[in-house]
Amino acid sequence: MNIFVALQIGLREIAAHKFRSVLSMLGIVLGVSSLISTLALTTGIERGTRAFMQQVGGLEYVNIVNKEISSAKFEFWNLSPGRTLRDAMAIKATAPLISHVSPELGLGAVIAAQDHSDRKFVRGVFPDYFVVGRHEIKAGRFLTDLDVERGLRSAVIGDEIASILWPGLKAEDIVGRQIRINDSPFEVVGVLPKYERDEEKRRRDAGKVETPSKMSRRWDPFRGKNEAILIPFSTMFYEFRAGAFPLDSMESVRLDGLTVRVGDISKFRAALDQIRAALEITHRGVDDFDLDTREEWFDRMESSIRATKLSGGLIATISLVVGGIGIMNIMLASISERVREIGIRLAVGAMGRDIFIQIIVESVAIAFIGGLLGVLAAIGLMEILKMLAPTENAPIMTLGGILFSVGFAILAGFLSGIYPALRASRLNPISALRYE
Amino acid sequence: MSLIHLEGVSKFYQVGDQEIRALDSVDLRIEEGEFVSIIGPSGSGKSTLMHLLGCLDAPTSGRMEICGNDLSKASQNRLASVRNREIGFVFQAFNLLPRLDVIHNVELPLVYSGLPSAERRARAEKAARDVGLGDRLANRPVQLSGGQCQRVAIARALVNNPRIVFGDEPTGNLDSATGEMILQMFKDLNAGGKTIVLVTHDPDIAGISRRVIEIRDGKILREYAP
Repeated sequence: MNIFVALQIGLREIAAHKFRSVLSMLGIVLGVSSLISTLALTTGIERGTRAFMQQVGGLEYVNIVNKEISSAKFEFWNLSPGRTLRDAMAIKATAPLISHVSPELGLGAVIAAQDHSDRKFVRGVFPDYFVVGRHEIKAGRFLTDLDVERGLRSAVIGDEIASILWPGLKAEDIVGRQIRINDSPFEVVGVLPKYERDEEKRRRDAGKVETPSKMSRRWDPFRGKNEAILIPFSTMFYEFRAGAFPLDSMESVRLDGLTVRVGDISKFRAALDQIRAALEITHRGVDDFDLDTREEWFDRMESSIRATKLSGGLIATISLVVGGIGIMNIMLASISERVREIGIRLAVGAMGRDIFIQIIVESVAIAFIGGLLGVLAAIGLMEILKMLAPTENAPIMTLGGILFSVGFAILAGFLSGIYPALRASRLNPISALRYE
Repeated sequence: MSLIHLEGVSKFYQVGDQEIRALDSVDLRIEEGEFVSIIGPSGSGKSTLMHLLGCLDAPTSGRMEICGNDLSKASQNRLASVRNREIGFVFQAFNLLPRLDVIHNVELPLVYSGLPSAERRARAEKAARDVGLGDRLANRPVQLSGGQCQRVAIARALVNNPRIVFGDEPTGNLDSATGEMILQMFKDLNAGGKTIVLVTHDPDIAGISRRVIEIRDGKILREYAP
């Protein structure tokens, strides 16, 4: 007997007992739909988190920060020049594993254009800032080496600044306009896009307007990027800083920020060592800096994703096992009801193996149909979930997740069919025929 | 070479501590084309004998050869394949599958011979037509009379063109007129060259055969030609 005939018999049997079959499928339907939902939810969270990690600079982002020197060594403190442009140059020159170095100077300043003005934080940066901070450009261009070399009065502004100074104006129209920083005129050469988390984007797409109180309550990791006002490092120094400390040169001025990007993440540790070695020299051996990486932070996120995945998968697996037990139960009942039929099939020449295949195929068919219904149920469930809570990371159903879940259901059907099939195939033809 | 050849065949059953000797060293030969009846009261062992001859069971001891196959120590699978090819059964209770229509009931043995579906269909249709049920192919057993059911069973028994056809009280559930008709079909089959073995407790029915074997207490009591 071939599988196709067995399938025909099995489907006929399932159709003949619709209610019973649906009942036995129920466990599988629930199991598959919860497995798919769990996978979709965790995939959604995972993607959202990964995208977020990338947008905040990724694992490659390393922040070189000042460190309190221990009191025992306090007298050495003055020996170190602190974080300066020399650090950046030393890293560039001696740390090949570091692809980009971004030193910066900060300034709280009054910015103004037309009749709008505000107090904001201005940064003097190098072109590398664009890469290290994972920026994109929406209109115009980013700062170039030429801007820094010549100390040009060029500025790149974030989306939030653009909307404060020129409300309602498109980014393309803002490029070329003048912005005053502490009354010095700068030309806006580029506008950055609006950075936002997935959920905010979706909320905006859904047409929901944020109330300000709600906005301020939540921590916005992209606030710094959206409120950026970036000018060339050299312009910042000569325009706003040199006058205050006449003894400082551009090389010796203390930086307000020093961030780098590791070129090859697989050599992360070695890259950190290279930074340390370079700074050891420029800081004259004084241990006044620290490397702030996102390893731990990202590790925590990753492990919480894993934990969610695991616990969700475990629950779904349990319900699939329960579904499998349900199938086994129904198949055993179905067999004891069909002893005579099996006897007749044996009498006309069916072998034990034929009966075995028939029962297994039937059990797998129930699981498969239940799995397909489970896929439909999961799709419905996802829609409901999206309607109830649109702010969370949207669940993402992957083909892989669906195939895995249905495959798992089929496996459950197969395993739970084995015992009933064995019992059926071992029936003795004579006693089966006599069975009433 | 006999079609059926038993030599010292015994069949014992273990019921609790007790050993029941259903068949006790039986010798029997049946040639191709014979029409044989096996009679005896219930509990005589005639059913056990039929189960052995019909390859539903293997003997406990002794030599059993059926259609050239030595089945003395045969496995269930081997018995099944001989049963499928060489033997057709017609039971008292018809034993049709209630959920299948006539054509699917008739083609059942062919399913287990591994025939492709088109050929199964053609042969099942011919067999059903041969027993006069050509216009009932899509009916289910519940929609048929007892006589029609038994004719479906006969068509099923013949569809794989076996060499031996067993009738196990084939008229037991039928009224006498229909019973006559069924018996006539067995006679016609025998006239066409098929070996027929009827199992019955009724000497009148046994009377239509040419050789009667009477079983009592697991042994062949006597053999006669009616």
